[in-house]
Amino acid sequence: MTQLVLFNVFNGLIIGAFYALMALGLSLILNLSSVINFAHGGFLALGAYLAFALTPYVGFWGALLLSPLLTAVVGVVVERVLIRRVYGRDPLYSLLLTFGLAFMLEDGLRAVWGPGTQPFSVPDWMQTPLSDEYFFLTGYRLFMVALAAVAVLLLFLLLSRTRIGMRIRAGTLDLETVSVLGVNVRALRTLNFGVGIFLAGLAGVLAAGMLGLQPTLGTDLIMPSFVAIIIGGLGSLPGTLLGGLLVGVASGVTAVFFPSATEAVIYVLMALVLLVRPRGLLGEEGRF
Amino acid sequence: MHPGKPILAGRRAVLVAATAGAAQVAAPFVRTARAAATVKIGMCDPATGTYAENGRNEVMGAQLAVDQINAKGGITGRKVELLVEDSTSADTGTAVQKTHKLIDRDHVDFLLGNVNSAMALALGQIANKAGILHVVTGGHTDAVTGTDCHWNVFRVCNTTRMETNSVASTLANKYGKRWYFLTPDYAFGHTLQIGFETYLKAHGGTEVGAALTPLGATDFSSYLIQAQAARPEVIILLQAGQDAVNVIKQAVQFGLDKRFHLAGAQQELEVLNGLPPEARIGTWVFEWYWKQPNVPHVSDFVAAIRQRNHGKVPTARHWFGYVGAWTCALAANGANSLDAVKMAKFLQGYKLPPEVALMPNEPYYRQGDNQLMPTLYVGHAQSKGSDDPEDLFVVDQEVKGVDVALPVDQTGCKMKWPA
Repeated sequence: MTQLVLFNVFNGLIIGAFYALMALGLSLILNLSSVINFAHGGFLALGAYLAFALTPYVGFWGALLLSPLLTAVVGVVVERVLIRRVYGRDPLYSLLLTFGLAFMLEDGLRAVWGPGTQPFSVPDWMQTPLSDEYFFLTGYRLFMVALAAVAVLLLFLLLSRTRIGMRIRAGTLDLETVSVLGVNVRALRTLNFGVGIFLAGLAGVLAAGMLGLQPTLGTDLIMPSFVAIIIGGLGSLPGTLLGGLLVGVASGVTAVFFPSATEAVIYVLMALVLLVRPRGLLGEEGRF
Repeated sequence: MHPGKPILAGRRAVLVAATAGAAQVAAPFVRTARAAATVKIGMCDPATGTYAENGRNEVMGAQLAVDQINAKGGITGRKVELLVEDSTSADTGTAVQKTHKLIDRDHVDFLLGNVNSAMALALGQIANKAGILHVVTGGHTDAVTGTDCHWNVFRVCNTTRMETNSVASTLANKYGKRWYFLTPDYAFGHTLQIGFETYLKAHGGTEVGAALTPLGATDFSSYLIQAQAARPEVIILLQAGQDAVNVIKQAVQFGLDKRFHLAGAQQELEVLNGLPPEARIGTWVFEWYWKQPNVPHVSDFVAAIRQRNHGKVPTARHWFGYVGAWTCALAANGANSLDAVKMAKFLQGYKLPPEVALMPNEPYYRQGDNQLMPTLYVGHAQSKGSDDPEDLFVVDQEVKGVDVALPVDQTGCKMKWPA
């Protein structure tokens, strides 16, 4: 039993790293622009489909690099044309807009690639488990964790060490003052949105290697990411990271005892956090 | 004082009464007008969500049938029209609303659908109240032609019990009787598991464990960890659609196919097509397969669907829709009437003609529960076909539906015909 629990804790961390990657993109956008991006799952699926379309030409590795970039470009265009118009308005506007966008993206993918599941393979050597006993540690899963870790590290470096990152962080705290100080807030938001969508695209490619590729891919994965943000605390990126890992582990450990409750448990966890510490584990007080 | 209230209530009552009255007066007129018009088959099936592909394929099969019916003179000499509504994949409320639209506003003569079992049950109930012939295309849960059966509801696809019974002995004899179940947590999964458990009990097998997985789960690794820890001989995967793609893909990435036998009941070409080649493995049941060289008319059907489907072959879903729509025409023409009771009576024990059946053993609608008794195809998946990229299944054994279905008196179906 102990072994089984340990297995599941490890496995939960692997999945959690993936949720964290998705949630970080969501969190970035939410923090700076106060837009709850319901279309994030749509962008994630777009990233996955672009990778599927690109793989025959540029191989898995090329697709892994190109597809998130292309997804980010689409994201930037969407931000410029649509999202920008609802900044500063009642949050209901952005909710409705991104909600509609999610449907448009999903149906767009369906129109282009059809409603069926597409076969997406990762390189053979990544598919094999490292050992019989630790069979859940496949090359691909470890790669996923490594890549998620690198992406998170780069994101934190970007935010803490670069001028743009500092502006994003400052904007998160007080956008008006940043604007008054002469920072081009419009460009900052666009860039920030692009980075968030890049992370969604990256998560999409990784998801396609593990799951079946179909237009609803993103919709199925988006809820745990929202939960991760709430558990970790709105406004805190380290919190989001922690939330993602917690969600993965909680659902993994639950699988040992109550297999049918693995999904429910993350919402129970969220409810508990909201009851005991409404701002989330690492969230700042009074932000939302 | 509320001066407006009584007046408003009065006005509303008058309006309601007037509308109801108008509807009553108008009703006979609508019926006569309809008599000369086209015969309408309403189809409520998913066009969006998880089951979008299954729904789309069923609709495509039904449309092909409607085109053929029209080419052959229609239904009782009248032209046939297929009206399609998106039921969504999971929102039964929407499915019910769309079905009411088909029946109340479009005045359809027949109803087809649905992929989703819960929706199939709901549609059956509505059609029963409206007294319309309803053919369930692809909802498998036993109750449709069991405890919730209706005189007007017929079903093309198999019951879950038929699916498990057809493959259980192959699994037990070839791979052993220690089974672990991964079961999707809704009616379809539960009844499949019960079917297998009944077989295990009767044949001295052991259930070493079972885990219920939420519908729409994406990560199955923790369930697979549980499953391998129980050291079964066979891991039975009962998921369908996208869940099936996810669980099989992950099980193979973990190398579990090399240590245990992976199998299940219902499997579909849509799923095998969505899996990467290395994950097309396992023992399963197909409800119809496109490669049946010795069965007449199958190649024509395959060619006709290929023309409409970007060159891709038909799946069991196309066949469900095709047989569903043809059943409407055959019943009406056979009974020479659009009266639902007469048509339902005509279909009792009715054998499908070979150009519609497209399978061996003369499938027929069983008297007593209205369940089609088709042939089931037990076999195994293969990574790629020798001469066609979509030849992903090898049929090892053809099983007669009537041999694996519960007898009518054990299905729980108590048919009540209108007086």
